[in-house]
Amino acid sequence: MVFPSDENVIVGLERADDAGVYQISDDLALIQTVDFFTPIVDDPYWFGQIAAANALSDVYAMGGKPKTAMNLVAFPATQMDLTILRQIILGGIDKLKEAEVVLIGGHSVEDKEIKYGLSVTGFIHPARVLAKKNLRTGDRLVLTKPLGTGIVTTAIKANMAPAELTDKVTRLMALLNRDAAGIMADFNISACTDVTGFGLLGHLAEMVCGSGMSVRIDSGQVPVIAEALQFASMGLIPAGAHKNREFREEMIAFAKTVPRALQDVLFDPQTSGGLLISVSENQADALVATLKDQGIGDAAQIGEIVRSPNEKIRVV
Amino acid sequence: MKEIDARGLACPAPVLQTKAALQQGHPNRVRVVVDNAASQQNVQRFLESQGFLTALEQDGVDCAVIGSYDAAPSAQPQPEPAPSTAAKKIMVMCAADRIGNGDDVLGLKLMINFLRTLKEMGDELWRLVFVNNGVKLTIEGSEVLEDLKAYEAAGLNILVCGTCLEHFKLLEKKQVGETTNMLDIVTAMQLSDKVINL
Repeated sequence: MVFPSDENVIVGLERADDAGVYQISDDLALIQTVDFFTPIVDDPYWFGQIAAANALSDVYAMGGKPKTAMNLVAFPATQMDLTILRQIILGGIDKLKEAEVVLIGGHSVEDKEIKYGLSVTGFIHPARVLAKKNLRTGDRLVLTKPLGTGIVTTAIKANMAPAELTDKVTRLMALLNRDAAGIMADFNISACTDVTGFGLLGHLAEMVCGSGMSVRIDSGQVPVIAEALQFASMGLIPAGAHKNREFREEMIAFAKTVPRALQDVLFDPQTSGGLLISVSENQADALVATLKDQGIGDAAQIGEIVRSPNEKIRVV
Repeated sequence: MKEIDARGLACPAPVLQTKAALQQGHPNRVRVVVDNAASQQNVQRFLESQGFLTALEQDGVDCAVIGSYDAAPSAQPQPEPAPSTAAKKIMVMCAADRIGNGDDVLGLKLMINFLRTLKEMGDELWRLVFVNNGVKLTIEGSEVLEDLKAYEAAGLNILVCGTCLEHFKLLEKKQVGETTNMLDIVTAMQLSDKVINL
């Protein structure tokens, strides 16, 4: 397929990234993204917050500042109480307020199943676009949120997650990546993406493909929601995690010591996951320390970029 | 053999059906038919977590996961041979910070003595669980704290009820063991060979 394009497109469909970038002037580019999905938690207000945090995340992952947003709504208005929809939208608006983003429009359709999300527009300096495929040998990888939200939400669906855990995971998914993005802007970063539906290893594979480099992940250092490991060993794993593994299996080698449940968590599809940042080796400790200091307590160094042209991910 | 048809179901429904079947009749053999790879792996994972050996029977797009629970596992290769399978697994659950009713001073003394003597169980002591008032044995100032820490250092899995700690506002004060939930406790009961309640 040939996509229409022009010389002002900095990031378009050809090199699919977290968001599209279009240059307006020498020092200004537009950054655009859209994301929507079916309810991930039962509480409509929190679902709205999570959907907004998730949509905004793509702009943060590119190094940009989100400014405006539009709602996308699908709702069974004839069968379901409209107060539910109100709560969803209220959650979205509150999250936008927190991010200092204005809602300037939207569109809704009647549908059997609830869906909510947003299109988000932001700005970025054309020279400061953080692509995902720009790894640098020797860089360290930093992850800012723990993994396991897909497995835990599967356990919630199965009525096997205690209320405190549901609460913890809900807040984690609703947490904006804004602060993490703001902090990383002061460091020597070569690439960044946000961890969502493909899971940590799926998104990492996207970064590695075409880079001419390989990655070594230290699985013991990866931040993980502890309960997700238990649920994974009981087979409460979303179908997406199996698909993610199947799709990238050839690129990834696990050491024998990496437990199966942890492997599942590394492939677990995340909703509104953390930022995966490639930072220069001599600044990695300082980046993690600053993130932790500013309240992003789960941030951790999880691996490094190694010179090896076969583009593999080795998990030890 | 218990038969379960989980075709057409999305995750986690096949696992939940299998779990319900195990809870109902405690069958030694189950056969779960699924129609996608994700469900097949999940059901297999679940059965193995419950101590079953599993095998697969492929039939077109359908796949049967066959689980058999054998008290004395045969020479079948296990993916992770656990050295402790020969030893019995004993779980001790303390729902109070003292033993028995009557004199509280005596009750506490007995509990301390009990926890210190528990090591005589050797390798068979598998899990030590504290719920309700029992969680008070794991906080700072507890007379058995050092003993419990020694057990933990020696590899014993100590579980402390999170809901209980929260109820008594002791979450910050816990000094030993892993904060846990009811699912863990129930799973541990199911996996253990013997549960001793205090």
